[in-house]
This record gives sequence, C-alpha cells and structure tokens, in this order.
Amino acid sequence: MFARIVDALDTRFTFKESFQKNVLDHPVPPRVNFTFCFGGITFLLYVLLAVTGITMLFYYVPSVDHAFNTVEYITFDLPAGNLVRAIHHWSANLMIVFIFVHMLRVYVYGAYKNPRELNWITGVLLFGIVLGFGFTGYLLPWDQKAYWATKVGVLMPESLPIVGGFVTKFLMGGDNIGALTLSRFFALHVAVLPIITVVFLVGHFLMIRRLGIARPL
Amino acid sequence: MSDQGVSRRKFLIAGLGVISGAIALGVGGAAVTSIGAPAMTNKREGKWVEACNCTDLKAGEFNQLSITYDAKDAWLDGKIKQLVYVKVAGDDILALSATCAHLGCNVNYDEQTGGFKCPCHSGAYDATGKNISGPPPRPLTRLAAKIEDGKLKINTATKEA
Repeated sequence: MFARIVDALDTRFTFKESFQKNVLDHPVPPRVNFTFCFGGITFLLYVLLAVTGITMLFYYVPSVDHAFNTVEYITFDLPAGNLVRAIHHWSANLMIVFIFVHMLRVYVYGAYKNPRELNWITGVLLFGIVLGFGFTGYLLPWDQKAYWATKVGVLMPESLPIVGGFVTKFLMGGDNIGALTLSRFFALHVAVLPIITVVFLVGHFLMIRRLGIARPL
Repeated sequence: MSDQGVSRRKFLIAGLGVISGAIALGVGGAAVTSIGAPAMTNKREGKWVEACNCTDLKAGEFNQLSITYDAKDAWLDGKIKQLVYVKVAGDDILALSATCAHLGCNVNYDEQTGGFKCPCHSGAYDATGKNISGPPPRPLTRLAAKIEDGKLKINTATKEA
C-alpha cells in the first residue's frame, strides 16, 4: 500500500533515484566518526524547538497582563504542557552546547578551510542568531528573572559608541521594558529569527551537499 | 563477509528508524496532547446559580431571566451570561434554557402560542419546550431548578441534573 503510493508519486516527481543516490547511498570519507554528528544533532534540536514552540503558540499570549498567566497555564494546567515546555527549555540549552562542540570539531579538524570558509561564516552567523533566540525567549515568561535578565541584556549595547543609546531604545521599544519590549521580543523570537535561521541553514546545508564533508585527519 | 555487511547496514538503518521514531513519537505525542487536550478537558461545569427572588416571579407564566455566573476560562476568571425561561406553578418549576437546539440563538417567548420562537431560522417550540416546527432537532434543554430560602436557584449544567 505504502510502496504503491510512493511509486505513484515517484512517477510524477521522480525523487526516488536522487533520494537513494544523494541521501541513502551518499558517499562519505573514510574514518568519519561520531563527532561528525554534532551539527546534525543541533539541527534536530532546532526541529524539536520549532515543534514545541509552535505547540506553545496555541496558548501563550504576548501581553504583560497575560504572559505570565499563560505560561503558568501551560506549565501547571495543560495536559503534557509541562513536558512540551521542558523539551523547549532543555533543547534550547543543549543547542548552545552542541553548537559549541560542533564548532570545536570543525576547528580542530580544520574543516573551515578553503573551500568551506563560507560554511564557517554562515555557521558563526547562525550561532549569533541562536544567541538572539535565547535572549528574546528568556523574556517571554515575564517573571522577575526574565525582566531583570532582559534589563541587564538591553543595557549592554548602551556602551557601544555613537549608536549604543539607539540600539538599547530600539530593543526596549522606548525608554522602559514593558508592553512594547515583550511584544517585539515575541515577534523576533517566533517570526523574524526562525525565518532568518532557515535561510542561513539552507545555505549551510546546500554547501555541504556541493562540497561534501571535509576528510577526517 | 558480504552477509555481515548487509546485516550491519540493516541493523544501522533499523536502529536509526527506531531512534527517529521514538523522538518523533515522544515530541509529537506531547505536542498533539497539548494542542488537543482542551477539547476534552476544558468543560463547562454545571453549578447552582441564584437566579432571582421568588417574589419577583410572575406565577404561572414564563419569566425571562438572565443569569450570570463565574466560569474559569483557561487562565482568565471569566463570566458566562445565560438566558433562561422559568415558569413556577405551585411546586412545579419549569426552567428552560433559551439556547435554541438548532444553532444556539436565544429564543423569544411567543405570546400567541405560549411557546417559543427562534428569530434566526424560525424554529418553534411549545410551552413545554418541545420542538414543534422548523429546524430544531430536539427540545429546549430543561435545567434543574429549585427554590431555597425564597430564592430561585438554577443549575447551569446543560443536562437536567
């Protein structure tokens, strides 16, 4: 049954052969070991974050008078809500860890060298975006920890020369951390950053396809 | 040699499938449970609500009453307003929900027939709440009602309690 559906689709899209060749039988260099998995694990965590994040979007309300209550509702009242939020929390933390070991592996193996410089550059940009995810996501529960962490965070760019004051005001949406800060952090967290991430990820992955992974030492 | 190669490849593919399936089932299950659960758990509870003083009621005919009661709406403390028709005749109390059994509009009392008529699709009910013409598939819901300490109390459960 399933095979027949796949065959019927294949006669229209002809994907089977290229899937077999490019994914299942894709040649990799000899002596590839488990350290080559860290990038893939990072991507898996991104997918988990997307699934659990979209789930919480069904309940979370990004306004100062409801944000905390909705997070409380997700955590304590919603069936499996605590699990969804915990997966989001731990995937976010582990993502930073796995990006770090992924970069460490690429650095030690010299895999960033010509012709893969652009992979390294997009990777560093992606790392910055992930930190942006962490920073904007931290405010959303709108509790004391979120508020004061954001206070510290938005005041850091103030020490930049010339533009510092504007950057801080831009992040806060004015002079205070309040309704506008929460809603713009929310928009960045669930719409702007995910789209930018996907764009850079596609580039990051396509280049790996074209160039192949670097030979182990 | 070749036999070993095939079985190792199959083992790895199967292992990959099992691990992927476990992750997908775990996270997918949690997501589906969270998104789907309110359909099963977020129920409107029936509770006894004080509708009015009995002295305000006209005996032997339908009184239109609007009852308002607290109802938790997920993370909000909300209120629900409900229209009911109550007729007290001696010890008998007939309390009908004004919600039309068709698509949920509030029905009006019809003085000509002594029954009820829905303004939306002309569904008609008789004085006992029985559906007599138009689209309504069943009678108006009878609500449990009682008189305590001179006050009329109505149970908001959709079924007669």
